[in-house]
Amino acid sequence: MDLSVNLPRGLRLKNPIIAASGTFGFGPEYAAYVDLNQLGGISVKGISPKPWRGNPPPRVWETPAGLLNSIGLQNPGLATFIEEDIPFLASVDTAVIANIIGHTVEEYRQVAERLSQEERIDAFEVNISCPNVKEGGISFGHDPRQAFLVTQAVRSVTEKPVMVKVSPNMAEPWVVAQAAVDAGADMISAINTLVGMAIDLKRRRPALGGVTGGLSGPAVKPVALRVVYEIASRVSVPVIGMGGIESAEDVLEFFLAGARAVMVGTVTFQYPERMLSIIEEIPKVWRRYGFQDLPEAVGAAHLDKEGEPG
Amino acid sequence: MKNAFKASIVARDEVAPDHVELILSSPELEDAQPGQFCHVLTPGMLRRPLSFSRLDRKRGRAGVLLQVVGSGTAWLYERRVGEQLDLLGPLGRGFEPPDPSRPWLLVGGGVGIPPLYAALQCWQAAWDQPLGVILGARAATAVIMTKDFQDRGVYPLVTTDDGSLGRFGTVMGPFLEWMDRYPESQVMACGPTGMLAALHGAAKARQGSMQLCLEQRMGCGIGACLACVVPAQPIGEEGPCYRRVCTEGPVFQAEELVF
Repeated sequence: MDLSVNLPRGLRLKNPIIAASGTFGFGPEYAAYVDLNQLGGISVKGISPKPWRGNPPPRVWETPAGLLNSIGLQNPGLATFIEEDIPFLASVDTAVIANIIGHTVEEYRQVAERLSQEERIDAFEVNISCPNVKEGGISFGHDPRQAFLVTQAVRSVTEKPVMVKVSPNMAEPWVVAQAAVDAGADMISAINTLVGMAIDLKRRRPALGGVTGGLSGPAVKPVALRVVYEIASRVSVPVIGMGGIESAEDVLEFFLAGARAVMVGTVTFQYPERMLSIIEEIPKVWRRYGFQDLPEAVGAAHLDKEGEPG
Repeated sequence: MKNAFKASIVARDEVAPDHVELILSSPELEDAQPGQFCHVLTPGMLRRPLSFSRLDRKRGRAGVLLQVVGSGTAWLYERRVGEQLDLLGPLGRGFEPPDPSRPWLLVGGGVGIPPLYAALQCWQAAWDQPLGVILGARAATAVIMTKDFQDRGVYPLVTTDDGSLGRFGTVMGPFLEWMDRYPESQVMACGPTGMLAALHGAAKARQGSMQLCLEQRMGCGIGACLACVVPAQPIGEEGPCYRRVCTEGPVFQAEELVF
C-alpha cells in the first residue's frame, strides 16, 4: 500500500505519521530511539524570535488516560534553532514542519520570514492554541479576527505550506479554522491540548506550577475526533488530526473523521518507537476495515458521503 | 535501538516497608554511571525515572531501589524475579568522580540514598582521604542501605526526623560538624528538595565543592519535552532559567542551581 500523502503546495509525506510539536524536541533528542527517516514528518517544538523561559515546575501531572502539561513553550529561540538544530535536521530524510509561536503578530511574522529562507523547513505550523501562555498563543486562537491576522502575516512572508493549529477550548473551533483558511492557510491541524487542572492533595495546591495545563493523551481522543470531524465537514482545506493516538486503529478513526495525516505525541513518552509500529500496521488495519488505499478512508464516516458505511 | 532495551530482574529484595530493590541485568547496563538513571516503563502511565543503587558493570547489572509512593511505583513493587522491565537508559549526567586528594562526604536522605551508595561502590577502592556518610530519613523504618555501607567498611552516621534511630533531627547537624572538621570536603548529596536546599545554602558560605543529585516529575526522560526542569543559573530579568534534570542533570554542581 502506498502510504505517501500529498498535501498542498507540494508538501509530500512518505507516510501520514508526524511527530507532534512539543513532544519530540527539535529532532536530535529522539534520534537514538527512533529512526527519524521512517517518519512522515516532524513538527518541531514551538519557536519564538527570542528564547522563552517557560512556566515554573512541576510541569507535568498524570490523570486517568491523560497527561496534563504546563511547559509554557520554553524554547531557545530562532537563532539557536537555526544554528544548532537545522544542521542536524538536514541529515534526516523526513518532512520538517516548523511550529511557530509569538507574543504578537509581528513575532509570528519574524519567525516565518526567517525560516522561510531555510531549505530544510518544508512547512509551517502556526501555533495559536497553546493554553499555557497568557500572551500570544491561545489569545489569538480564540478570536477569529486575531487568527486571521496571524495567519495573514505568516502567509505574506512565505510560499511554503502553512497549517494553523486550532484549539479545542471553545464551542466552535471551525470558526477559527475558517478564519485561518480565509487568510491563506493551506491546512488545519487539530487539536491542541484541552485546558485543565489537577490538585495536589499533599501540598493543597494546584499540581502544576502554571496552575492550569493542557490535557493530552487518550482521554482527549473523543474531543479531538469531534473537532476534526466538524472542521473537515465545514472547511475546504486538508486537516491534520491529533489527540490521543496510540495505534493504527486510532489513525484510521481520525481518517474517517476527515484527517489526511495525523500527529502522534504523548504516547511517544512511553513508547518512543510506537510511531514506527503504527506506520507498519497501517496497511493491515486499512484492509481489515475494507479500505484499499490511504485516501479512500478520508472522511468516510461523514454522514453526507454517498453509500452506507461498512 | 541501543538505548531502549529490556532488562531481566535477577534479584528482588524488600529492604524496608514499602521499599524494594530490584537487580536488573542487560548488556546495555555495562555503561551505567553513578548518578545516572533509567526510565522504566510502567504500563498505561509515564515512565518512572529510577537512579542506580548499585552497579556491577562487568556483568551488566544494576540495581534500582524504589519506595511505593503512587501507582507507578506500586506496579514496580509487584514485579518478581524472572520478569523483564522495559528501560531507556542509562540516562543523564552522573556524578563527577571525586578528587582523591581531598576528603569526601556523602549525604543521603530517604530514597536519595541509593545513588550515593553506587558512587561509593564505584570510587571507594584505594581511597585514603577521610570519607564520611550521613544518612537521614523520616523514621527508622525508612533508613535504607546502612548495611551495604557497613559491608564496605564505611559506617554511616544516621539521623531520623523522629529520633527513632540514630541522631534526632536532620542531616544538617552532622553535616556542619563534618564540614568544620574537613572544610575542603567534596560533597555528594541526594534527597528531598528541602534537604538539598539546606545543604546548598550551607555550602555557599564554605569552600569545598558540592554535587547535588535531583529528582523531578519527568516526561520523556531524554531532553525533548522540557517537563523536568529546575530553577538554575543564570538568573535573568524574569528569574532563574530552567534546566532539564533528565539531560543536564540529574547531578548538578551546587553553584549551577537556584533554590
